[in-house]
Amino acid sequence: MNGNLLEKLYGDMLLLRRFDELCLALKLKDLIYSGYHPYEGQEAVAVGFCGLLKQDDVVLSTHRPHCHAVAKGCSLESVLTEMMGRQTGCSGGLGGGMQYLDPGNNFFCGSIVGSNLPIATGFGLAIKQQQMDRVCVCLFGDGASNTGAFHEALNLAAIWKLPILFVCENNQYAEAMPAKEFVACERISMRARGYGLEEISIDGNDVEETRRIATALVERIRKGEGPFLVEALTYRIRGHYVGDPEATYRTREEVESWRPKDPLKRAREKLLQQGCAETALDGADHAIQERLKTLQEWALKQEFPTLEQSIDHVYIPLTREMR
Amino acid sequence: MATVTFGEAIRQAYREEMTRDRNVFLIGEDVGRWGSLYRSSKGLLEEFGPAQIKDAPISEAALGGCGVGSAIMGMRPIVEIMYIDFITIAMDQIVNHAAKWRQLSNGKVKLPIVFKTQGGAGRRNSSQHSQSFENWFVNVPGLIVVMPSTPYDVKGLLKSAIRDDNPVVFIEHKALYFEKGEVPENEYLIPLGVADVKRAGTDVTIVATSWMVLFALKAAEKLQASGISCEVVDPRTLWPLDKDTIAASVNKTGRCLVVTEAPVEGGWSGEAAAVVQENCFGRLKKPVKRLGSIRSGIPYGPVLERQVVPNENSIMEAVQELMR
Repeated sequence: MNGNLLEKLYGDMLLLRRFDELCLALKLKDLIYSGYHPYEGQEAVAVGFCGLLKQDDVVLSTHRPHCHAVAKGCSLESVLTEMMGRQTGCSGGLGGGMQYLDPGNNFFCGSIVGSNLPIATGFGLAIKQQQMDRVCVCLFGDGASNTGAFHEALNLAAIWKLPILFVCENNQYAEAMPAKEFVACERISMRARGYGLEEISIDGNDVEETRRIATALVERIRKGEGPFLVEALTYRIRGHYVGDPEATYRTREEVESWRPKDPLKRAREKLLQQGCAETALDGADHAIQERLKTLQEWALKQEFPTLEQSIDHVYIPLTREMR
Repeated sequence: MATVTFGEAIRQAYREEMTRDRNVFLIGEDVGRWGSLYRSSKGLLEEFGPAQIKDAPISEAALGGCGVGSAIMGMRPIVEIMYIDFITIAMDQIVNHAAKWRQLSNGKVKLPIVFKTQGGAGRRNSSQHSQSFENWFVNVPGLIVVMPSTPYDVKGLLKSAIRDDNPVVFIEHKALYFEKGEVPENEYLIPLGVADVKRAGTDVTIVATSWMVLFALKAAEKLQASGISCEVVDPRTLWPLDKDTIAASVNKTGRCLVVTEAPVEGGWSGEAAAVVQENCFGRLKKPVKRLGSIRSGIPYGPVLERQVVPNENSIMEAVQELMR
């Protein structure tokens, strides 16, 4: 992988890291109202997988969606103001931090753990049936791999050979439940065997690896070799939500032990080794922070939706006329 | 007009809509090889092929999601859930996604899905294959709920449900598939949200749905002999409810009995009673009466299940009470 690509991937991850920090700050100021689930430490997954896709490829995300959305190509404006409940949000400010849709960018997410896997089968079926050159990437966590929906969807996708890349972003905790205690197998990728699929576990904190695997698998899916299930092993540096009772389920030492494996730290060190100038990387960071500052100022000025706007699309009006 | 069974009327609706629009497809357990449990899609696999008639594994959650995803991509899925009792497995997709995503997309996506299922007692299947869950769906904003009672209605309503861009929960009744009725040769549609007066009368309005319509009509026939004239109103669509037709009838008769196969508590029958109270209060000669199943699981066998759900005798008794 050449240095330029790594530099780009690092820049993409840095944007997500700073964006996540901005969201966290807004959450602490109560400007994001709903549950907010920080993404810090998992950026290599969003950038590796979502960042690879074309606009008409589909991403189905989770209750921790904001970095997936941005990496997929949703605008920072539409994602941030959605979380802040403003009209300019991609769901018009009706979804908040955990559930929103950006159909123009083929991005969808929801806050019921495991529920996006079945929906992926519908996208996959339509893509296959209509012979479109598109893929569907469905991201979920270790917790979702324990739901019945996971099994039903994997089986359906496998028997019909649907063009879906299932990405299990194993951040090792389902809220407070450690995967090592609540997932029966050693690696979640082992479950793939049950569906006749390859067993693929990767280092989810190495952005070159996530991108390399994503590229290879997406290419194979476009050739009709899907579906695939890949487990990207990563770590949720922050709590499930801001201020969760973290001491009840993990130690400070454990969290600290993951800091050296931080995907940004690793990418940055490699770039420096490759001769990339520190000033260039810091300059990029500065530019991102300036951009986000402007974004925040703009976002705070956006209007909230009215009640009329919020209930306008519950139903498409019925007609007595025959169509 | 030809006389056909309820099941055949469904098959005609499928055939017409699948021919008209190749994006319409049926997906569910045994919808292809078997042609569905009650044969309502019999022969269609041969006619339309596996792209439009898709046999699927026993995976209701996945099939519900399959409906949501494919609908967003421009297809028009009919997701068949073999028994309404199994819809519990698909509830997340129906309630949290199909019903919500148009609103959450700010009107940008359409979810033209028919969740087609069958419920009710009458075929001796006991407590996990005989239930009436329509009330759950009536209470979920974003869903349309249809319950047809005749071959003519099921065909016209199913065609409308398939063409509608909202998610529709379409609930048939297992005791109705072999009932016969007249269905026109020419194509027709029945608009969603419009009730039908199944029998005109002057003394009592009986509002009934699905299988209960048949009992209400039988009861009305017998009551006529004793001089009581019943009007039978079938809402056909439980949401949106055709309040105007119900209110017009009760404003004429002054008495109202609502019959439902579900237990009455917390259900659609209470909604109908409220509509009558709000719109016909001054004309009511008696309080609105409701008749539903005993609050119990459906017991096994031909005798007990009939004792738990309303029938023509219990409807007659209820009407006679209203006339006292």
